[in-house]
Amino acid sequence: MATQSPASPNTTAENPPTSATEIVQPKNEVQQHSQAEAPKPISEPSVFKNSEPLREDQVQNAVKFLSHPKVRGSPVIYRRSFLEKKGLTKEEIDEAFRRVPDPSPSAQATTTTTNQDGQVKSSSNIQPLAPTQALQPAAAAPTGAISPGGTLWRSRFHWYHAVFAVGLLAVSGAGTAVLIKNTFVPRLKSWIRKVVLEDENDILKKTDAKPSLAEEAAAAAKAAAAAAADVAKASQEMLNSKNNEKRYFEEFMNLLDVQVQEMKSMSNSIRKLEGQTNYSGRASIASQEDHRISMTNVKQQYANGKTDFDSRSVRSSSPPAPVEPSIAPHPKSYMEIMAMVQRGEKPSNIRDINDQPPNPNQQLSNPRLAPRAKAQNGSSHVPQSEVSAEGLNYMVQDDGVNNQLENESAVPWWQRKNVRISEIENENELKAGPNEAAEAIRRPKPSVQKEQLAGGDRSVSHPSDVTDELQRITKISETGNAEEINGGAQC
Amino acid sequence: MPFFKTPFNGYSVKFSPFYESRLAVATAQNFGILGNGRLHVLDLSPTAPTLSNLVSFDTADGVYDLSWSESHDSLLIAAIADGSVKIYDTALPPTANPIRSLHEHTREVHSTDYNPTRRDSFLTASWDDTIKLWTVDRPTSVRTFKEHAYCVYNAAWNPRHSDVFCSASGDCTLRIWDVREAGSTMIIPAHEFEILACDWNKYDDCVIASASVDKSIKLWDVRNYRVPIAVLNGHGYAVRRVKFSPHRRNLLASCSYDMTVCLWDFMVEDALVARYDHHTEFAVGVDMSVLVEGLLASTGWDELVYVWQQGMDPRAVVLAFEQTSGKGKKLGDSYLCGMYSCKLEMNAIRWNRAMYGSALRCSWKLSINLFVVGHPFDV
Repeated sequence: MATQSPASPNTTAENPPTSATEIVQPKNEVQQHSQAEAPKPISEPSVFKNSEPLREDQVQNAVKFLSHPKVRGSPVIYRRSFLEKKGLTKEEIDEAFRRVPDPSPSAQATTTTTNQDGQVKSSSNIQPLAPTQALQPAAAAPTGAISPGGTLWRSRFHWYHAVFAVGLLAVSGAGTAVLIKNTFVPRLKSWIRKVVLEDENDILKKTDAKPSLAEEAAAAAKAAAAAAADVAKASQEMLNSKNNEKRYFEEFMNLLDVQVQEMKSMSNSIRKLEGQTNYSGRASIASQEDHRISMTNVKQQYANGKTDFDSRSVRSSSPPAPVEPSIAPHPKSYMEIMAMVQRGEKPSNIRDINDQPPNPNQQLSNPRLAPRAKAQNGSSHVPQSEVSAEGLNYMVQDDGVNNQLENESAVPWWQRKNVRISEIENENELKAGPNEAAEAIRRPKPSVQKEQLAGGDRSVSHPSDVTDELQRITKISETGNAEEINGGAQC
Repeated sequence: MPFFKTPFNGYSVKFSPFYESRLAVATAQNFGILGNGRLHVLDLSPTAPTLSNLVSFDTADGVYDLSWSESHDSLLIAAIADGSVKIYDTALPPTANPIRSLHEHTREVHSTDYNPTRRDSFLTASWDDTIKLWTVDRPTSVRTFKEHAYCVYNAAWNPRHSDVFCSASGDCTLRIWDVREAGSTMIIPAHEFEILACDWNKYDDCVIASASVDKSIKLWDVRNYRVPIAVLNGHGYAVRRVKFSPHRRNLLASCSYDMTVCLWDFMVEDALVARYDHHTEFAVGVDMSVLVEGLLASTGWDELVYVWQQGMDPRAVVLAFEQTSGKGKKLGDSYLCGMYSCKLEMNAIRWNRAMYGSALRCSWKLSINLFVVGHPFDV
């Protein structure tokens, strides 16, 4: 194909037996030209590219995001991925990266050689939870100001918890102390007053009645005993409450310890998983799909409201919000197999199969049919040449008719020949009335044969040409020469 | 409607672009977690609604996807779970197959697509975050596209622009690429969750559908990609595959982990056109035939492949009667038992072709092969 059209590929008149492919290719060219926003012969802006100018506000937000210290610590691929998810175009992301001095050597995601394995990502995050967290921290971390290393988050959690517990204890201790003081001090005072009063009474009554001294002494002793008993009670209460506090504290610490143990065991099992071969990686990928769903639900709560970006609101105003994903119930045997694989066992029904090619240089067999015309290329609103449209339609009809002739019974059961109420439009292509059918039989058969020859020749003779052309295109793209591309690409 | 029972769990099904009656199924053992795989090439019998196995190829690891060559009528590309891409030629004897095994991906290859316009190259999308471009005759890839931050689940060529394709990834973005450019030309943050599939509209080359774990399918126009042109809700779980109809501009088919295959018309307010719940496990593969309008095929983890005409029940039971005993013998699973023996007495049963679209030959005297096709509860 490359050799046939040094000039414009639109000149197909030179090749009468060319098949639909030849017609389709220049049609592509025509369509591309017609669809280009500003049709120029040299470089037409492709519809598949972003032609919007840079949005300065988005770039500003991205720069702010990239300058955040916690974001600096994350791999470049996550930063790019986060920005892409926010709706920034490639140009805007590149501009933001340019503006923020990046200490890391590879700022471009395309050259990143970060290990893409899901498990390794998680290990780089020292994430004790399932490796699903690895992706979501990239999204949630910058937005929620939760660091990519979840340890900080986790330890702060501990911290916070411990601080809270200690504070609670202190407060309760102080409260009980105050309470005790309030109950103890008045008692003490009253006791003192009692004693003092009795002393006074004693002094008064000393002169009065000496024999009552013993009684008073006894009374005083009794009062003292009572006071002592009170004090003892109060101190007992204090001790009890202290003990309770201690017990609660102990229980609490135990709970925390248990949690820590659990997390440790989880991280151990994850490390075990990492150490295993590929297939268990697949198992965790599959479970990741499920886990990420549940994890992101949790993460979203933290992420929302801590983000700087407003672009999210643009998209959320569109038609009904996407439904929260739920994990589909897997078949029971699936779960069994997953469990087996995660334990490291191999299911018993696997055979050793050698599926390597017996002859790596095996020649392809000769094709028997030329590429067929498709309805989608034949019937569309895009303008085409008359000849090609008719030719395509005839070929499609012909195939239906051929089938008719082959089978003694009617058309194969899967062909729809009836008119259904709801679907009428494209029936015309497939239905063949008797006269049309006869014509169709007579006319396109030779063309089909010719097609076969042409197709056979084309496909057998220059396979390498085709790939050379493809390689040339892609090589050119890498060097960035636009003009040559458009000239040589459409064949 | 015919179905075929595969020994392994189905992963993908594709019609051949050369033969109306041919399709291929990719299957993997043990749900694709760990085990062998097999690629089946099935043939639809034109007279009776049955699927027969033409040839099958065994692989060491599961086959996750396949695609037919557009230039060569007997070539198949298979995406294997061990990271290799194998090329099979059905015209050669099975002992000569596979004819090529290309091993460059470092993780499972999840999807493959053959270029329908240029017809000389194909793409493979892998869980190693890359997409590779290959041609059949070269032992190494022509290009590698590495930009996604997570597994790439699907890649699809534009049906009109031979150098443009899109990819769907677990990093929640859709990317549009042009092989003439160094990197992606457009990034669409299509969903909040992983995107499992993407496909181009066959009649409007700027419309893409993306299917995601968030149970929705979104349609995007690349000329105005910030807002989707439609959001299709209705699936109960993640949507695994999406395929635009090659015959109707607005029609697309999707299959999901909710075990259903749905047909949608996205230009209509109530988009759901049909729902087929014939699978009893995750429906993971669906295809619409290019050569036969309205012909659908689907496969799922329940190890069944169904082929049916749009509008019919894929589970319509096929009963075959033996000539000698006159007793009914059921092919495959069916919910009926013994109710059909009395129907045998009827003579010359003629089914309305308009209703079921199947040719039925019978003579009650000979009763060699009497195919009764109908909804199980009608018979």
